[in-house]
Amino acid sequence: MNNVIIIGAGPAGMSAAIACAQKGLDVVVIDEYLKAGGRLLGQLYEQPDGSWWNGIEESARLHQQALDLGVQIQLNTPVNNIEHHDGQWTIYTEHETLSTNHLLLATGAAESPIPVPGWTLPGVMSVGAAQVMTNVHRVKPGERGVIIGVNVLSSAIAMELKLAGIDVACMALPKMSQLTDQQAHPKHVLDSLLHVSHMAPSQFVKLGSKLMKNDFMKKLGVTFYPKRGVNMWDIPIQLRKAVIEIYGEKQVEGVTVATIDSNGEIVAGTEENVEADFVCIAGGLYPLAELAALTGCPFYLIEELGGYIPLHNERMETPLDGLYVAGNITGIEGAKVAAAQGTTAGLTIAKQAGFEGLDGEIEEAIQVVEETRDQSYIQFHPEVNKGREMVKEKWEEYVLPLRSI
Amino acid sequence: MTEDMIICRCEEVTYKELAETANKYNCSARELKLRTRAGMGYCGGRTCRNMVDKLAADLTDERQTQITLKYQPPIRPIHFGDLGGGQS
Ligand SMILES: Cc1cc2nc3c(=O)[nH]c(=O)nc-3n(C[C@H](O)[C@H](O)[C@H](O)COP(=O)(O)OP(=O)(O)OC[C@H]3O[C@@H](n4cnc5c(N)ncnc54)[C@H](O)[C@@H]3O)c2cc1C
Repeated sequence: MNNVIIIGAGPAGMSAAIACAQKGLDVVVIDEYLKAGGRLLGQLYEQPDGSWWNGIEESARLHQQALDLGVQIQLNTPVNNIEHHDGQWTIYTEHETLSTNHLLLATGAAESPIPVPGWTLPGVMSVGAAQVMTNVHRVKPGERGVIIGVNVLSSAIAMELKLAGIDVACMALPKMSQLTDQQAHPKHVLDSLLHVSHMAPSQFVKLGSKLMKNDFMKKLGVTFYPKRGVNMWDIPIQLRKAVIEIYGEKQVEGVTVATIDSNGEIVAGTEENVEADFVCIAGGLYPLAELAALTGCPFYLIEELGGYIPLHNERMETPLDGLYVAGNITGIEGAKVAAAQGTTAGLTIAKQAGFEGLDGEIEEAIQVVEETRDQSYIQFHPEVNKGREMVKEKWEEYVLPLRSI
Repeated sequence: MTEDMIICRCEEVTYKELAETANKYNCSARELKLRTRAGMGYCGGRTCRNMVDKLAADLTDERQTQITLKYQPPIRPIHFGDLGGGQS
């Protein structure tokens, strides 16, 4: 039996493993991917202070630190089920069944697809897949791409493709349907883009443009949706065009776009073709809570955090004995927040495993999560703080009747 | 065009089939899945789950506290022999 088992070797899981191992616990980390680092591996961008956030290096650093502390890391190992019996957690992988008293789920996030006619053609991929091909495997997904869906993640990845010398023909909205939510609505997309306009300046400076934050805002906002779109990093961002079809004989050859009005409705007769050899679909992220959902842990649908959230407190405990969560499974945020949550979870586990005098450190770790959130460069949802408050309220509601017994 | 679009790749269920079924039976996500097999293929609904959810009749109250399409183990494909626990 192991002291602690952690599922997920992303920034949350690895930071938790390091915190536990520093307190002397035996830790096993399991991940289905072939490398440690999770979604951190694909990240590459310039930060406001001019330094670069290089996910591969950050991942390697966390991996090495964990190994030095004696953490066992099992890669290429999908977990297909977990069960709870008599205070013990059983973890099923294809070749081995493990058990522990303390189980941390740090399984991260997954991408939501947006279906578009032609989306089953070879050459269509999620924007995250293009990021992994480009930044992790250093393989070009194609020569010229179109990105469907304009949001924080797709804008960051468009810039990364550009850095790798891949042409991005344009970014446009998906055609509105029952399946697209607000991502097909120009006004909504504009609002959420204005929210991240702080990401623009350092990139513009880096790429030699004179444009500064205010100009960027003005261009996007005041001249509401110019017909030809707005260029960001030389990529036309089309908030007034929607992709209505991806075409090609045996693989992607291009997309058909049409002009849309400010409510997202297609203007008839405006269709035109844009040639491309790959297409990225960016439908946003949601917490990957499959394993948590098998345990009977209560869930709440909180849009501000990206979807269904397993109930947890600030110490990263769930209401189930010995079950903890950290990172994007608790809501969609950047890698630094995920890592800070992981450290908190690790300390909480050490405390529950019998280490005394950790309360001060846990309080500090919770503070660090909040500070990191407030200073965070990438924010996936403008109302993330509201979402976090909602989880706190749900937790209080849930534990109150238990306390009064 | 939109009509023929495949939503569930594993079971090859189209948008049209899902939309018509949802309309005809005014059904929940689970019923929609059982009627069309969308989400019941090899990948366990990893790609189409959210879309099946959106096309189903919106039962808002329940949706707040319950994941509409239940997750069942195994949540990743595994070999039949390993599932049975027998010797290979
Ligand atoms: C495509 C994509 C791009 C992103 N880009 C950025 C970005 O540019 N900047 C940014 O700040 N944030 C980005 N994010 C958000 C990202 O989720 C966080 O930055 C951070 O990586 C979250 O850390 P985590 O440890 O919670 O999860 P992750 O880093 O996602 O790690 C989770 C790990 O769990 C493993 N896992 C999941 N289920 C199982 C299972 N059943 N069995 C075994 N292993 C399992 C996965 O293989 C993965 O390695 C991106 C997310 C995605 C999905």
